[in-house]
Amino acid sequence: MAATTESVKADAAEAPLLNKRNLVFAVAIYCVFYAWVRWYEGVYGWSAGLDSFAPEFETYWMNFLYIEFVLEVSTAGILWGYIWKTRDRKVMSITPREELRRHFTHWIWLVAYSVAIYFGASYFTEQDGTWHQTIVRDTDFTPSHVIEFYLSYPVYIITGGASLLYAKTRLPTYQNGMSLQYMVAVVGPFMILPNVGLNEWGHTFWFMEELFVAPLHYGFVFFGWAALGALGVLNIECQAIAKLLKKDLA
Amino acid sequence: MSASQSAVRSRAEAVKVSRTFDWLILFTLFFVILGGYHVHFMLTGGDWDFWTDWKDRRLWVTVLPIVGITFPAAVQSVLWWRYRLPFGAVVAVLGLLFGEWVNRYFNFWGWTYFPVNFVFPSNFMPGAIVLDVILMLSNSMQLTAVLGGLGYGLLFYPGNWPIIAPLHVPVEYNGMMMTLADLQGYHYVRTGTPEYIRMVEKGTLRTFGKDVAPVSAFFSGFVSIIIYFLWHFFGKWFGSTAFTQST
Repeated sequence: MAATTESVKADAAEAPLLNKRNLVFAVAIYCVFYAWVRWYEGVYGWSAGLDSFAPEFETYWMNFLYIEFVLEVSTAGILWGYIWKTRDRKVMSITPREELRRHFTHWIWLVAYSVAIYFGASYFTEQDGTWHQTIVRDTDFTPSHVIEFYLSYPVYIITGGASLLYAKTRLPTYQNGMSLQYMVAVVGPFMILPNVGLNEWGHTFWFMEELFVAPLHYGFVFFGWAALGALGVLNIECQAIAKLLKKDLA
Repeated sequence: MSASQSAVRSRAEAVKVSRTFDWLILFTLFFVILGGYHVHFMLTGGDWDFWTDWKDRRLWVTVLPIVGITFPAAVQSVLWWRYRLPFGAVVAVLGLLFGEWVNRYFNFWGWTYFPVNFVFPSNFMPGAIVLDVILMLSNSMQLTAVLGGLGYGLLFYPGNWPIIAPLHVPVEYNGMMMTLADLQGYHYVRTGTPEYIRMVEKGTLRTFGKDVAPVSAFFSGFVSIIIYFLWHFFGKWFGSTAFTQST
């Protein structure tokens, strides 16, 4: 009887398979942060972002850029470093239940990555189209670019890297080599950031106006395709989870 | 780990876990596909989709289905061929439309003040439904490519006609004949204003008179067939579960 009571207590004290609080937090943090960013754009885009030679541009946009650079490098270093430092060195000997729990945590990372990708590749990228077709640029660091290229892209790169690192350091599924499509899904969208170099070079040398379908932008398109690598990750995960649940679902 | 141990305590928990994963997967897939599809679409067909004065009878009708059938074909190649889920094309297109509508409202209207009836996105739903239904009924990639791809191109213009028609009525303005969509464009000058980049109704398709849109749609459907084949195999490659081995 006492043993049973202890067992029930242990079950009740056990961490849940899916930490819903973390899941909600992961989605909410991006939404709240980007809502604030969008408010900042709305207020200071028009009032301080039209002329890059104006002192207020330096105050509100260049300083924003410098601060985000520092924060992004720090966040990537701390987050990736933490995940690597706390890695499981006996990952192949965890219990099936613990493995299932880690798959859930991995999916919280993937959910976060999907939200980060949405804001970076969809929301702030198309936003750039309307801003630059309205305000002709006089710098590479326009209000739109300060947010799109140098904030939203690094944010999804950091999130994607963290997700990949989590899978690699904590899940038995990913111990036999490196998943090709996981790399594609993370490294491909990452390559959009270096491709900014081509974009800025072309806009500086050829034309300052915006035409979204111009061939100059096709590098972004090519690397955007890499998001489809998520299909490969989905297949790997479905196989792994099915293996864990197969006996009980039969 | 021990093979005899179970990851769950009961069958009921296993079912619950499975359903929870379904929702997590659907959410993640929706937004990742949305991101990739949207960046692809806005940079290959975007200007035709952003502005009503770009939505002409020729290039809009020709270009958008061709660049738009890509991700639906790729997503179908995994969702149907691995999981028998008959909504790959619809999920991809719904994602694209979600991303576009949010953007057109909050940014095109909310930040740069273009009216929504100048910047609403094109409608791909009829083509996506046809792609999914043909694949589900035929279970054939080839038939879906040929019939579905052709349908995707042909249905685009009729699928958008009720939306765009009011803006294609002729108006006379300062002695010039134009459409309402043109007039919107003249009032909202952009770096992508069609006259500025000289992309208005050029070419000899005018020779066909009233048949510009059907000819464009038919050509678009033809190319969409080829693109479907190509992207089906892209999708298969992206769905690979291969691991690279360290040397």
